[in-house]
Amino acid sequence: MTASVSLDFTTLARLADGEPAAAEETTLESAQTLDRFLASVERRAFRIAQMAVRNRDDALDIVQGAMLRLARNYARRPSEEWKPLFYRILYNGIRDFQRRRSVRSRIFGMLPGQWADEEEAPADPFERVAADTPEPSQQLMADEAMQRLEVAVAHLPERQQQAFALRCLEGMDVAETAAAMGCSEGSVKTHYFRALQALRAKLGEVW
Amino acid sequence: MNDERWTENERQARELFDASVEGLDAETRSRLNRARQAAVAEVERAHRSPWRTLLPAAAAASVALLAVVLWRMPGSGVEPTARFAEPVPAAEVVEMLATGEDFDVAAEDPEFYTWLASQGLPANGAG
Repeated sequence: MTASVSLDFTTLARLADGEPAAAEETTLESAQTLDRFLASVERRAFRIAQMAVRNRDDALDIVQGAMLRLARNYARRPSEEWKPLFYRILYNGIRDFQRRRSVRSRIFGMLPGQWADEEEAPADPFERVAADTPEPSQQLMADEAMQRLEVAVAHLPERQQQAFALRCLEGMDVAETAAAMGCSEGSVKTHYFRALQALRAKLGEVW
Repeated sequence: MNDERWTENERQARELFDASVEGLDAETRSRLNRARQAAVAEVERAHRSPWRTLLPAAAAASVALLAVVLWRMPGSGVEPTARFAEPVPAAEVVEMLATGEDFDVAAEDPEFYTWLASQGLPANGAG
């Protein structure tokens, strides 16, 4: 669990929505600090994005976009603010991607025959299980359990997905999660509680 | 609702997620690494402001310009064309002065040439 940070939501929303950060003292040391920060979150952020968009390449693009935007606009912000900022940018990217995909899906859905068939079908959760290479049975069971969890999370409402991913999977505290989601801490608790309820209803006692 | 059970479920979900992160394939890791390096390069580029880039070049150009100005300034030293000129024998100088062949040279420093003419130097200019 990371240290709690106190952030002004209005400021954070303004920053994350595209306004360049105010100039603060910057050195090349901050590039190294940013490198370390991104290295610490990149894989987890990728998996979270992958769970949300259900596609590896799209998730990689979204994470890359989030990294670049953080570097371009917010590298001069205090490093304590980077994590919630980064995840806020990441979820903005995920939302933009899902909107584009939704529009594309509607357009292709209106086309007859093969055009509609070429559009993405709902992802098969077991399609992405790495079954090509032989693995210990325990690993395979863990992979399948993770797949079940991913499918269940994918069916949650967007805000519950975010609360679950940030609080439970990424391990952010309530304040950081609220900053990343752009809502109050009370809302985070509510979304998270409902997410856990829904997951238990779907997955049963054992996840 | 049993809080213990929820805590256990959360822990299990976190462990599954951590394992999936650790199990990422090499290509994905490599692409993430490249994406990170590109992002960090953005920061480094931003740090290299135009002033930081141009300052050394501007300083070098200023020094070169100053050197040329000082070199070309009248009375600041030997004229550039004279630096590699052969020494002119004194007799020839005297002869030039006597025939009025090059008044421009004498006009630059008439006292010197008057003094030179009064020295009675040998004809070959030696000594």
